[in-house]
Parts: sequence; structure tokens; C-alpha cells
Amino acid sequence: MQLFCLQAFLQMCNLPIRVICRANAEYMSPSGKVPFIHVGNQVVSELGPIVQFVKAKGHSLSDGLDEVQKAEMKAYMELVNNMLLTAELYLQWCDDVTVEEITHPRYGSPYPWPLNRILSYQKQWEVRRKMKAIGWAGKTLEQVLEDVDQCCHALSQRLGTQPYFFNKQPTELDALVFGHLFTILTTQLITDELSEKVKNYSNLTAFCRRIEQQYFEGHEKDSSTIATRSSKRSLLR
Amino acid sequence: TPRPCSAPLHRGVPGRSRPAAGAGGAARPVPGRRKMAAPMELFCWAGGWGLPSVDPDCLAVLTYARFTGAPLKVHRVTSPWRSPSGHLPALRTRDEGIISKPQQIITHLRKQKYNADYDLSATQSADTLAFVSLLEEKLLPVLIHTFWVDAKNYVEHTRKWYAETIPFPLNFFLPNAMHKRHLERLQLMWGDDYMEDEEKLEKELYREARECLTLLSQRLGSQKFFFGDSPASLDALVFSRLAPLMKAKLPNGKLQQHLKSLQNLCNYCTSILSLYFPWDGGDPLTGAPRAAGTDGTEAEEDPHKRRKQLLSVLVGLAAMLGYAFLSGIVSIQRGSVGPAGRQPVTLEEEEEEEEE
Repeated sequence: MQLFCLQAFLQMCNLPIRVICRANAEYMSPSGKVPFIHVGNQVVSELGPIVQFVKAKGHSLSDGLDEVQKAEMKAYMELVNNMLLTAELYLQWCDDVTVEEITHPRYGSPYPWPLNRILSYQKQWEVRRKMKAIGWAGKTLEQVLEDVDQCCHALSQRLGTQPYFFNKQPTELDALVFGHLFTILTTQLITDELSEKVKNYSNLTAFCRRIEQQYFEGHEKDSSTIATRSSKRSLLR
Repeated sequence: TPRPCSAPLHRGVPGRSRPAAGAGGAARPVPGRRKMAAPMELFCWAGGWGLPSVDPDCLAVLTYARFTGAPLKVHRVTSPWRSPSGHLPALRTRDEGIISKPQQIITHLRKQKYNADYDLSATQSADTLAFVSLLEEKLLPVLIHTFWVDAKNYVEHTRKWYAETIPFPLNFFLPNAMHKRHLERLQLMWGDDYMEDEEKLEKELYREARECLTLLSQRLGSQKFFFGDSPASLDALVFSRLAPLMKAKLPNGKLQQHLKSLQNLCNYCTSILSLYFPWDGGDPLTGAPRAAGTDGTEAEEDPHKRRKQLLSVLVGLAAMLGYAFLSGIVSIQRGSVGPAGRQPVTLEEEEEEEEE
């Protein structure tokens, strides 16, 4: 899901990229987390450092913002990371039905038996421990969905009727929100409750559609297969 | 000193007027207004370092309650065992049992119509959610690290305070248990490579915390509170995270120095303290007890010391007397006056023999 954020961000900066999928991507990355980019002889992983790296090279989307707006942007990015990312993780790894039917098979698919089961159980245990540390382990699915709803409500309020979150230009926040919402809207899960929550907010779905049209339609021919999940993804069905 | 009556309060239900917070109004229900069941009771950590409570979560709940004028009976305790749920903060409500998580306590108060966010616009509510996330993700973990994991701070400041405040015999192992719990939580949140590499931790995470403080300062600007002239729940949360950092005398205080360089945040904390906590701004020794719950048994240290001294003298006396009786130096005999009269003489002789 971070992949979409990153792609959107880089395309908003007008930087050409090529997406390559590898089974051992997590091991290739310097910090153990995906996605990561390989530029020349440098490898940078995770969204935050990549944004900094790109900024250092002279491309930044948030130069036009004043101090207060920058503060708000950082806060909203944190909100998205905190709520949406954790909720996605929770659904993937802590909801038993989803874990059994979707996550385990998908996570272990590149590996032979029994390695696939072992690795996915290990990842699940790791994620559950982390959830416990941040206090999400005691939450039920309804509470998680409620939190997602609150987060979407806040984002919807902030977006209002503007084309992007800050003025007429897209910023890192737009890329991040797009990535998460696009993932939620297009990933096939057992139930559609999560995507229904997002679809309740029409300005958010319009926002995603707009960004997809503007930044992804033309570039589809350049990039190789984007994700290993469901088939051709598009919001324009 | 500003008069307590001038402190702005938020009420969810218009028309209900209360005396200003702090003048006993927050501790007892207004007499004659309405028939209330027993007020809600809040158990929180005792105060110190110039604050009403040293724990950020307890402070957040206390500040929110003060902002909204919620009638709470506050018990300042010195150990989590005195709390009904075993954790602090804990709210004993009238109908819903005991609530322990700070966010849930605030939600409960909101449901009881003590809502500090009543007047906020939709965008401001959205901003609240975003800034709360920022605080909890970037600032709070580093704050916990500064107080509980950083070796110098923990040993010389935090552990010392808790060991002195928590009563015997918990003070021997409770601070360490809390330290381990916080360490484990940080390890899970940050991953092992941050915990092992001090420099990386310092560089990246502390830098982000400092950035967070600067962002808060920029957002606050020169306003009195984050959303205008009345305090909201975001103010309670920001205050509870910043006040301990500002007030504690930490030996290793890099984050603290950065906070002190942001003048508007320091003024913000000081003004909230003086407006809403004018009495318990001092140490428990000097602060006057406000509610019936905080009678001398827990908050004051002096009666404790005296009681301990008295107890030790009594115990010493009892031990001496017991030894005297058991070893036969002194014995009670029921007899005539004559033989009894000789008793003291023999007693003296025996004592002289022993001394030689």
C-alpha cells in the first residue's frame, strides 16, 4: 500500500520510476521495510526518508506552504499513518477470518511449504505484539472500523471541496492519502466494510479518481505489473 | 495572581452555571442545584515538580476535567495498588464501573455533557484528531524515553522521585517494573535497531520530537489556546505532554532545552497552570488539600513522617519491655508490699551485675 503513496508522490514530482516486484524485497531493503528505491548507487527505504532524499535533490511539493500549513500537513500525515496504516495492518493480521483466507496464502505464496506457513505465522506474531504495545490488541473489528470512519471524516472535512488538501497544488499529504485510500478501495477482502466506510465520503472517492486519472493513466504503459493482488485495478469501472 | 473566576470554562449544556474551577466547585457538586448521585471519582498519581500530577495521562484527564468543570472527586494516590483497577488514571463512574484508559475517560466525560470541544468547527475537530496523532506518535514515545529509559534521567530523577513517593514496600520494585514496561513498549514500537544504536535514536527520533515541538509552537502562534480563547481537549493533551517536560529538573535535558527555547509554549503551560491549578501548582507539602479524598493520609508527608517516628519509638519500647520481661529482669508478682518493696533492690543489683 505504501507503494501507491510512493508512486503517486514521485509522479507528482514528475520523476520517472519503474516498479519491480521481488519476493525478497524486505531483505533487500536497508531497513527491512518496503518500499525502497534504488537510484544510481543509493538505496533509500520507507516513505519518510525517500521524501527527504527527493527533497535534498531539489524536488519538493510543499515549498509553497507557510509554517502553519506545514504543521497541519505533518499532523495529517501522522494521522493517516497512525489510523489508516494501523487499521490496515489490523485487518490483515489480527482479524482471524481475513488472516486465514487471504493474508497467509498471499504472504507465503513465493515460498514452498512449510516455509510459507512458518514465515507468515512469524509475521503475524510480530504484528500482534506491536498491536498490543500500542493498545490496539483489545480493539474489536467494529472499533477499528469506527476509528477508520473518524479518520476519513476528518480527512473529508479538511479536503472540503478543494481539489487537493492545500490549495491547488498536490503535496506529500495528497500522495499519502491517495495511496492508502486507493488500497482500501481496490483490495478485495472478505467483507467490504472498510471500503464502504471510505465510499461514504464522496469527496474522498472523487479525490482518488482525480489523482488516478491525472497521474496514473498515462504512465501505466511504462510500469510493469504493479501489485500481486487482485486483477486490473481501477476506480473507473 | 489571576482570579479563578476568570478562567474560561467549557460546558456542553448551556445554562448550567457553576462556580469557577478549583474553588471547591470541581470537587463537590453545587449544593442545592440538583440532586446528584455520588460524584465520579478519579484516581491519579500524586503531584510533584510543581505539577498537580506527574504522569502525563493523569494530567491530561485532570486538565480536561478542570477545563470543563466536571465534578470529580480527585484522589491523589502514591501507588497504583490504591486505584480500584490497579492502573492509573482510573475513573470510578456512577453507572459504568471503572474506566482506565485516558481516552476512554475523556470520552465518558464528554458523554456526561462535559464537552470541551462543543464549540469547535468541523475543520477544527479534524485538526484535533490530526494533532493528537502527531503528539502520540512523535512526541509521547520520546518523552517516555527521556523520563524512563535514558539512563541518567531515570536513575537520578524519575526513579528517585517514585521511590521516595511510593510507600514501603512497593518502592523497591515498582519503579523498576514500570521502567521495564516502558522499555518493552518502546522496543516494540521502534524496533530493536533504534534501541541499540544510541546515536541513531538521538539523531532521528529526538530530531522528530524537536520538530514536533516546533510545529506545535507554530500552530499555537500567539493565541491563548489552540482554537481561540477557550480551551479544548487538544489543549489538555498538549499541556499534559509539555508540562512535565518543562517542569521536571532533568539532568540530561536536551529535549527540555528545546522546549524552553520555544517561548510561546512555555507561556502557554505556565498560564494554564496558574489559571486552572492555582492551588496544586506546588508540592504536596505546601499545597492545601482540596477535597475530602485528599485528606492527610495520602497527600501530606509530614503526618506520615511523624507517624513513622512514633511507631518506631513504640516498637523500640515494646521490644525493650518484652526483652525485660522474657529474660526476667522485670517481673510482675502479686504479693504483699514487703516482698514487693525488695524487688526494686534486687532489680538494681541485677542490673549492676549485668553492666559489669
